[in-house]
Amino acid sequence: MKLKGNTAITGIAELAPSIKSEGRTTLGLFAEVAGRAIGDAGLSKTAIDGLIVTPPFEDTTFMWPAQVAEYLALRPGFLDMVELGGASGCGSVTRAVLAVAAGMCRHCLCLSGGIWDDRIFHSDETKVAAMSKAEIDYELPHGPMGFNSGYALIARRHMHQYGTTAEQMAKIAVEQRENALLNPDALFNKKPISIADVLSSPLVVDPLHLWEIVRPCAGAAAVIVSRTEEAADMPQAPVFILGVGEACTHNSIVYSDDITTSPVKDSAARAFAMASMGPADIEYLSLYDCYPITVIITLEDAGFCAKGEGGAFVENHDFTYKGDRPLNTHGGQLSFGQPSYAGGTSHVIEAVRQLRGAAGKRQVTRNRTAFVNGNGGIMSTQSSLILGKERI
Amino acid sequence: MTVTPGKKPGDTPAGTFAIQFCPVCTRYIFYPRELCPYCLKTTPEIRHATGRGKVYSYTVVRVSALETFEDKVPYIFAIVELDEGVRIPGNIVQCPIENVKMDMPVELLRPD
Repeated sequence: MKLKGNTAITGIAELAPSIKSEGRTTLGLFAEVAGRAIGDAGLSKTAIDGLIVTPPFEDTTFMWPAQVAEYLALRPGFLDMVELGGASGCGSVTRAVLAVAAGMCRHCLCLSGGIWDDRIFHSDETKVAAMSKAEIDYELPHGPMGFNSGYALIARRHMHQYGTTAEQMAKIAVEQRENALLNPDALFNKKPISIADVLSSPLVVDPLHLWEIVRPCAGAAAVIVSRTEEAADMPQAPVFILGVGEACTHNSIVYSDDITTSPVKDSAARAFAMASMGPADIEYLSLYDCYPITVIITLEDAGFCAKGEGGAFVENHDFTYKGDRPLNTHGGQLSFGQPSYAGGTSHVIEAVRQLRGAAGKRQVTRNRTAFVNGNGGIMSTQSSLILGKERI
Repeated sequence: MTVTPGKKPGDTPAGTFAIQFCPVCTRYIFYPRELCPYCLKTTPEIRHATGRGKVYSYTVVRVSALETFEDKVPYIFAIVELDEGVRIPGNIVQCPIENVKMDMPVELLRPD
């Protein structure tokens, strides 16, 4: 089954992230964003014959794809639920590519996102709900701070091994904020920040400062993957999916063989091999950013710079929309917000906007190809996509 | 020094420490499994461990979101690489925070 270029992203939609869910439900958010994406794709609702969803926090996951299909009055011929953490956005697109290329469906709707409620998510119960048995038995008694301490361990080791500096990490948050200033939907888009601002924000889990830590919130995103043959007759310029790749080496970071080298090494290599491309062919970068160290390690492991030189790469390049190496022009999750599973989809959506030439004031000039990376857990599951304006 | 909880089936009498070992794969295993994760055939043995290792990485938790740890900040959450080749999570204790260094040798301290 040939995958390269046989499917395209033909519809997208994204709700503005919000700190409060204000009585909304995941089902309600899905309905709204699905309607918008179907409209963007110029499809009738009956044309949607595939459905991939991320799980809810507030409802049972039992028969969740069917619950969503029923709530949205869809009649899909292919259904699935994807739970790959932050890699779910890219992972959903990858599974849609497989289903569409295999002929299971023609237009697959991928829905991600959910509500946010401080009262629910700040309880010890919810924290434990996101932990494996091994993490509960062997890590929790020592007081880990979930994702924060996991990425802090990675950042510390990277600094020790490669001389990566606090300033280099902070620069990523600064440049993504500059991008977010042009994104009316971003949670943090009012004022620019400096490296000094980031480094003087509270040290939460040393060496991570508050402004280097993603802000969870509510929101949803939708992506429609269609057969390339269908895309020709649809209103939007198709964004072709040229390569997909995944990899996983561990769940808890304690059991990663090398915490400063991620499975991106394999997921990116697989996606590049499928696309018959390399990092030099990529013009736009959309990289999962729960913390700046994630971006640095992804740049290294995907091959945009040599291993250990991510810090210097950050220092020597301008990641803003007007820079030489535009990256996360929507502000990244660090400034856009992390609306549940839709946080990882925000990178897919922004890449599609850029390749369509529809990114408005933050449009980049070189926009033929994009590398998108989704990262689940603590540099655990990785899902990489290569997107192109041309089928090639 | 690190503290690790006495958890079955890795538990041994006070003052000692043990971890799983697969005699077929000749590899130590952490965390405990019903079957060796490498061959998926062998029931692991329990072997005494040296209790010595080094700090692979650490973080200083300055704000804890866990109720039981709120009054313990700042404290160190670390990954320790044991001489047996496996990595375990733990806290670094009996050492001022500013003296903790990457790769520094540590010994296991039982919480008895």
